[in-house]
Amino acid sequence: MDQYFKTVYAIVWKDFVTELKTRELFSSMFIFATLVILIFIFSINLSVVDAREVGPGILWAAFIFSGTLGLNRSFMLEKENDCLQGLMLTPADRTAIFFGKMLSNFVFLTIMEIFILPLFMVFFNIDLLPHLGPLLLVVFLGTVGFCVLGTLLSSLSAHLKNREVMLPLLLYPLLVPVVIGSVRMTGQILAGKELGDMSQWIGLILCFDIIFTGAAIMTIDHILEE
Amino acid sequence: MSEERLPESENDGDETPVLIWLTAAALLAAMGAIFLYAPTEATEGMVQRIMYFHIPSAWVAFFAFFIVFVCSVLFLWKRDREWDIYANASAEVGLMFCTLVLITGPIWAKPVWGTWWVWDARLTSTLVLWLIYAAYLMLRARSEPGSMRARYAAVVGIVGFLDIPIIHFSVLWWRTFHPQPKMITSEGIGTGMETPMVVALMISLGAFTLLYFLLMGQRVRLEKLKDEIDRLKRNRLYSH
Repeated sequence: MDQYFKTVYAIVWKDFVTELKTRELFSSMFIFATLVILIFIFSINLSVVDAREVGPGILWAAFIFSGTLGLNRSFMLEKENDCLQGLMLTPADRTAIFFGKMLSNFVFLTIMEIFILPLFMVFFNIDLLPHLGPLLLVVFLGTVGFCVLGTLLSSLSAHLKNREVMLPLLLYPLLVPVVIGSVRMTGQILAGKELGDMSQWIGLILCFDIIFTGAAIMTIDHILEE
Repeated sequence: MSEERLPESENDGDETPVLIWLTAAALLAAMGAIFLYAPTEATEGMVQRIMYFHIPSAWVAFFAFFIVFVCSVLFLWKRDREWDIYANASAEVGLMFCTLVLITGPIWAKPVWGTWWVWDARLTSTLVLWLIYAAYLMLRARSEPGSMRARYAAVVGIVGFLDIPIIHFSVLWWRTFHPQPKMITSEGIGTGMETPMVVALMISLGAFTLLYFLLMGQRVRLEKLKDEIDRLKRNRLYSH
């Protein structure tokens, strides 16, 4: 078991070192998320609509669109110099490779989200500080769901010819529960509701996270196979 | 070349016509039941008869997607090309019926609800379902035939089906206006409708289910013939 965690850690660390060297992924994800928010702000009139009503949806659209950039890149990087082949030749368990990639995707996306939140606060003029605790929990749950299913599908789409197109086509419809749940909960939190009032949504997203972690563990052997 | 033919391809000719005639008879009976036997609904009028197409299509679509799931699991377990063929065929047929649901729905909704589309739970989940299996078939269409395509499609077929209940609850809590199911209510089966209507719906359900099996059979046969052509081409054309 100890060895397993070491393997996962090594894969996450490898991705970190690569990112620290190139600093390509984080900057592109952050700028892209900002652009998504900007485009949505242009398309609505903030003096007419309530920012608390439309804000959560725009925030999650920004998270998911920029998260897709990260997912696409995560396995493309491995494909480029046949690194994935090398990774699979190591005696590491396939699920360890999956969890390593998933964790590094998760950490990158979370860091990006933490940088986007203040920007969102300023642009939409919503004070997030009183709701920060529940908000971070919701962001955490939603991001886990996105990363679990996203990593599974990007490990699969990385081998396709038109991977950049296929990943969102496969991922977004399956992600509908996470998107609806996260947007709903974020909206309710910004409206000042307690977390206890939305236990059904929390349960739903937890279910999603657990079911697809299980599905990933069962199917990853069939995807990472030469 | 006849000695290289697969034994199944000769049997196919005997089995299919029975199913074709059976399906044709069932569909004719269903048409009769829908347009002659079933009474016109009092408030909704003639347009309500589209129900006899709408509900069976929805049933066949869900059934087909369930078969995709079962065949995907069996494929990953047994690694037999047969299951891959079945999953592919069922997804195609299911997507077609799902499209029918999405087309007949608005035609029915416009005169009854006064609008083509509402973001109701069942409409939304059917649309999401359509998108999932459209992506599934695109994944198949855009990758090379072989073990990789079959494995990836199977994973998507499994993941997609596991998502259906979660999608259902999420859009249900999001909002819903759909009429409560009239067929199966808490008082028992069929109490919400007149008996002739239930009978017509049952005949239609049966006919559509037969149609599903007929289309499946044809699609599977087509795929197997394709495999055989590939095999013959490899043996006859490329070896010299």
